[in-house]
Amino acid sequence: MTTQPARIAEDENGPRTTYDEIEIGKKLGEMDWLVTEEMIDTQCQIDQDFDPWYSLSSPWGGRIAPPQISYRPPRWLLSRTYNIRGLFCGWEMENLAPVKPGVTLHVTATVVDKYIRNNREFVTYQSEAVGPDGAPVFRTRRTHVLDVVERDAPRAGKGVDSGIKAEKI
Amino acid sequence: MAILTPGTAIGTELPEIAHQFRLESFKRGDAQTIHTDMEAARREGLPAPVATGPQVAALIFRQLRMSFGRGWIEGGKCQLSFRRPVYVTDFCVARGRVTSSETDGDGARLFCDVWIENQKGEKVIAGTASGVVAA
Repeated sequence: MTTQPARIAEDENGPRTTYDEIEIGKKLGEMDWLVTEEMIDTQCQIDQDFDPWYSLSSPWGGRIAPPQISYRPPRWLLSRTYNIRGLFCGWEMENLAPVKPGVTLHVTATVVDKYIRNNREFVTYQSEAVGPDGAPVFRTRRTHVLDVVERDAPRAGKGVDSGIKAEKI
Repeated sequence: MAILTPGTAIGTELPEIAHQFRLESFKRGDAQTIHTDMEAARREGLPAPVATGPQVAALIFRQLRMSFGRGWIEGGKCQLSFRRPVYVTDFCVARGRVTSSETDGDGARLFCDVWIENQKGEKVIAGTASGVVAA
């Protein structure tokens, strides 16, 4: 006897978002994000990247964060609206200025596309962060597949993991 | 410091960055996720826990920081596609090559192909990147 594949229906944070529920153009909200020394330490540890610019000092006066520290805040904004576990499958990033500790960035995000390919469902959102002076610090565009399992499988069962994560680096 | 200069020849290879991932690389406290837990992965349709995409892509970002220096931090761009899952005990190496350049002020914006291969030689992440290098 074989088990039919299913797409997870829910997890501890509630129902998984369905393709039909995703709205192109939806504003995912905004957040003020204070970058701390501890966040930079954690990011360097996660990536095992101890570049002196990230750990000690840089040409901008003091240490800066690895640019990929920008991954999480836009993802948090997506998670505040939609419960999408899935897999990360596309990442565009543009680094416009160094991310510095002690600086608060204002981050916004918007859903810009959704599509079906290879019998799977995808969502694309974009985000921008600006510094205290209003100048952009980074821009990014991300694509996630909603489920690993193909879209014609039924939704059933409860996932161990969730698309909604604690908002911390 | 940057390895690339406006005079860097097309076809020049970027420095290789290799890493042996381990399950512990992906643990965050006690959370059971598709990155750390077999049952969490299986329920989502995965055969085994998978690496987090950003942690694998970080090998490319390290490569780009070394290659472009300031030009990665200010004005660096990349576009990556995650083609295949990376499993949590995979060995990965980031590779890249300069493909073109264009004048940008007193320097040049260099364009590169970048990718990550697993231990089988499969491209698990592939894309393009660019940055400005000063004269």
